[in-house]
Amino acid sequence: MMAFLKLLARNRLALGGLIVMGLVVLLALITPLLPLADPDVTDTPNRFKKPFSESALLGTDHLGRDLLSRLLWGTRLSLAVGFAAAIVAATLGAAIGIIAGFYGGRTDNVIMRGVDMLMAFPYILLALAIVAVLGPGLMNALIAVAAVNIPFFARNIRGITVGIAHKEFVDAARLSGMTDARIILTELLPNVIPVIVIAMSTTIGWMILETAGLSFLGLGSQPPQADLGSMLGEARSALITNPHTSVVPGAMILIIVMAINLLGDGVRDALDPRLKSGALLRPMPTTMVKRTEAAPEAKPDTLLALRGLKTQFHVKDRVYKAVGGVDLQVNPGECLGVIGESGSGKSVTALSIMGLVASPPGVITGGAVHYKGKDLVGAPYEKLRSLRGDRIAYIFQDPLATLHPLYTVGDQLIEAARAHHPIDKSAARAHAIDLLKSVRIPNPEQRVDSYPHEMSGGMRQRVGIAMALANEPEVIIADEPTTALDVTVQAQILSLLDDLRRERGLAIIFITHDFGVVAQLCERVAVMYAGQIVEEGPTKTILNAPAHPYTSRLMACVPELGHGRRELAAIPGLPPVVDKLPEGCAFAERCHKANDTCRHGNIELVRHGADNFVRCIAPETAAQEACQ
Amino acid sequence: MAGYILKRLISAIPVLFGISIIVFIIMAMIPGDPATAILGSYATPENVEKLNRDLGLDKPMVQRYFIWLGNMLQGDFGRSFSLNRAVLDEVLDRFGATLILAGTAFVLCSILGIAAGVVSAARQYGLADKAITFAVLLGISIPSFFLGMMMILIFAVKLRWFPVSGMWPIYGARDLPALISHLTLPAFALAVVATGVIARLSRSAMLEVLRQDFIRTARAKGVHERSVIWRHALRAAMVSIIPVLGVQAGFVLSGAVYIEMVFQWPGVGRMLVGAILKRDILLVQGGVVFVAACYVLFNIAVDVAQSLLDPRIKT
Repeated sequence: MMAFLKLLARNRLALGGLIVMGLVVLLALITPLLPLADPDVTDTPNRFKKPFSESALLGTDHLGRDLLSRLLWGTRLSLAVGFAAAIVAATLGAAIGIIAGFYGGRTDNVIMRGVDMLMAFPYILLALAIVAVLGPGLMNALIAVAAVNIPFFARNIRGITVGIAHKEFVDAARLSGMTDARIILTELLPNVIPVIVIAMSTTIGWMILETAGLSFLGLGSQPPQADLGSMLGEARSALITNPHTSVVPGAMILIIVMAINLLGDGVRDALDPRLKSGALLRPMPTTMVKRTEAAPEAKPDTLLALRGLKTQFHVKDRVYKAVGGVDLQVNPGECLGVIGESGSGKSVTALSIMGLVASPPGVITGGAVHYKGKDLVGAPYEKLRSLRGDRIAYIFQDPLATLHPLYTVGDQLIEAARAHHPIDKSAARAHAIDLLKSVRIPNPEQRVDSYPHEMSGGMRQRVGIAMALANEPEVIIADEPTTALDVTVQAQILSLLDDLRRERGLAIIFITHDFGVVAQLCERVAVMYAGQIVEEGPTKTILNAPAHPYTSRLMACVPELGHGRRELAAIPGLPPVVDKLPEGCAFAERCHKANDTCRHGNIELVRHGADNFVRCIAPETAAQEACQ
Repeated sequence: MAGYILKRLISAIPVLFGISIIVFIIMAMIPGDPATAILGSYATPENVEKLNRDLGLDKPMVQRYFIWLGNMLQGDFGRSFSLNRAVLDEVLDRFGATLILAGTAFVLCSILGIAAGVVSAARQYGLADKAITFAVLLGISIPSFFLGMMMILIFAVKLRWFPVSGMWPIYGARDLPALISHLTLPAFALAVVATGVIARLSRSAMLEVLRQDFIRTARAKGVHERSVIWRHALRAAMVSIIPVLGVQAGFVLSGAVYIEMVFQWPGVGRMLVGAILKRDILLVQGGVVFVAACYVLFNIAVDVAQSLLDPRIKT
C-alpha cells in the first residue's frame, strides 16, 4: 500500500488530480458552514449580474440567485449523487460478479449472458428508458446511472473472482467446512476489494458526468434543487446573452471529471505491470548509440567486422551488459557460427549490427561495426535502412511471430524487394514466386497468396529465408533459424543455406546453441558466455580439442547417437546475471578449474595455437597441441 | 463471406431477444396502472379499459411478452398519445437525422482518434505525444453538452462561421452545403469524447504492437519507418481497435441525445427526451427498441469488418 502511494505520488499529474479533487470534496463538505447566500432565494431585479460584481462573486443567474452559492451546493449534490451511484453500482455489480465467478457453471452462464445483453445496449439509452419508466427526478436518475453501470462491475469482478475461486486457500476453506457465504466474505472479498476500488476510481468520473447529463436534459434534479447538470440546463436559454451562467457550472464539471480522470489514470498506471517493466515503451527505428570512447579503427579487406562491440540495456538505474566487447568478422562465402547458452548475448550481438536492438532500453555504448570499412554504429537512419535487408539481411527464429500475421507471404516478400528496388507489382510477384521456389517451397504459385498462419513451421522458416534473399544480400545473419523445427526440416534448411553460401558467395553469421548445427555448416565458430567471446577458432579444432573449460563443458552436455552410455554432464549453476558481472572470468563460479587468480582483473582473449583464441588463464589444452 | 454474414445475423437473434426482454422488464416496472401511463393522464376510462384488454394485462407475464413482441415484429409499436401518431412513423422520421449526425461524428472520431493515437505512439513521450495526451484528457473529461454550448458561443455567435442550431436553414435551400454548415458543430461536439477514448486505446494498442517481433522483421527488411508505423503496426493494431470502434459507435449513437438537445437537432434523442418529459411511454419504448436494434446490426458490420481485416478469423 505504501509503495503504491509512493508510486502515485511520483506521478505528478495524478497527484495534481488528487489535490484538486481533495479541494473540491473539502469545499463540498464545508459548504453548509460557509457564509453563502441562500442558493434558492430569487431576486429578479438583480438577475444576470456579471461575475466579480459586488455581493456576488460569480454573478447571479436568470432568477437573480447567487451563482457561487448555487455552484457550491450544486457541486455538493453532483458529487453526492455521483459517489452514491458509483457505490450502488459497485456493490451490486460486485455481488453479481462474485456470485457468477464463485459458483460458476450454469449460474455463471445465465448471469453473464444477461450482463452481455445489457452491455449490447447503447447505454445512455438504457438510462433514458429507466428514467422514462420511473419518471424524472434525481433519485431516479441515480438509479438509472447506477443500473447501467452494474454490468461493467459485474464483468470485471467476475473475471477476478474466477481466478481466485480455484486457488488453494479457497479449497482449503471449503474442506474445513466453511459455508459458501463465509468463504465469500472472509476469503474472496478481501482479495476482490482492491479491484472494486480501482474500477470505481476509473468510472466515478463517468457517473458524475452521466448524472449531470440526465439533469441537463431535465430528467434529473428538479427545481428548485439544482445539481451542476441542471444548472447548466437552466442556463442554456441564456447562453448567448449571459454565457457566464453556463460557463460556471460547466467548468466545474470539467474540473471535477478531469481531476478524477487524472487520478484514475495515475492509479491505473501505478498498478500496470507492463509500464513498470517497460513493455509499453516504443522501440526506436534504430538502436540508441552512446559511445563513451573513440570508435576503433576499421580493419581493411573484411566484409563485415565487429570491433569491441558493447551493447547494454538500461532499465531504470540498472545496467545490463548484454554484450561486453565482442570482436567478430566474416568474409564472402564464409560461415561463422556463434554459439552459447540462452542469455549469453549472441542474439543481441547479431541485432546490434544493424541497430535492431529494441531501444529503449538497448544502448550501444562502445565499439564499431565495419561494413566494407564503414562504421555502422551511429550511422544515420537512412544509411542503415538502405543496407537493412538489401546488403545485410536477417533470418529470425520463430517465424510465426516474426512474419506479419495479416499480410500474405507474397505481400511480405514483395515488400522486402520493393523497399530497396522500385519494381512494378507484377514483376515483384514473379520475383516473390521465384524466391519461394529457390527455398524449395512446393506450389509457390499458390503459396504466395497464403497467410503465415496457413503454413507449417518449416514452411514459414523457408519464407523467412526467402525474404532474406529477396535482394541478394552479401551478408545473412541467421538468429537460431532452425531451433523451433524438427530435425528433418532442420537438415533441409541447413543444406539450403549451405548451398546458397556456395552458389552466391554469401557471408553467413549463424547463431545457435547447437554444436551439431555448427559442425555441419560453419568453418569458424565463436563461443559466447556472459556477453563475451570466450573462445574462437576453426570449427574442427574447437570441436576436437576445446580450449576453454566452458566450451568443453558445453560440448559434454550434447548427447551423441551411437556412442553408448556416455555421461551427460550438465554444467552446475547458472550464467551470471549481466547487471552484476563478477570481476575476472565470468565462468569462474561454475568452472571446476577455477582458482583465485581467475577472479581478478580482466582476462583477455589471447591467441592459443595457430588460429585459435581463448579467454582463459588455464586452458584445457596446451597451445602446442592446438597447433597440430 | 456471405455465409459468415448470415451466421452473424443469425447469432444476433438471441441478442435482439435479450434486448426486447430487457425493455419489456423495464416497461413492466412502471409504477401504477400501465394503461394510464401509456395513454396519459387525460385518457378516458373506456380507452384505458380497452388498452388494458389489448395489452392482455389480465394474462400472465410470459404471454403478455409474446403479445407485445408479436405486435412489434409486425411493425406495430403503438400510438404516441402526445403526437397522436404511430410510434414507428415518428421514430423513422427522426432516425434519419440522428443517423446523419451520429454517422458523421462516428467517421470523425474514428479517423481523428486513430490518427492521434498512432502519432502519439510513434512519438512516445515526445512533444506531439504530450500535446495529444493532454488534449485527449481534456476531451474525455468535458461534458459533450457543455462543449457544444461553448462551440455555439465561439463558432456560431462570436465568429459566425456556422449557424447556431437546427438541421436546415429556416429560409433557403435544403441542399448539401446547408446541411454541412449545420452539421459541422454538432458532429464535432459529439465526436470529441469518442475521439479521446479511441486515441487512448489506439496509442496503447500501437505501443503493444510496436514491441512485436514482426515489427523488427519489417525494420530488418529495410522498410521505411513511416511504412512500419502506418502499414505494419497500424494494421495489426486495428485488430484491437475495431472492437472499440464498435463500442464507441454505441456511445456516439446514444450520446447524440445531449447534442440534439443543445443544437436543436430533430433526431430520435430529442424526441425521446420530449417523450419522457410528457410521459409518452410508448414513444420512448419504440425509440429505444429501434435504436438498440440498429446498434446490434451495426455491431455485426463491425464483426464483418474485423473478419475482412484479420484472415485468422474463420469466415
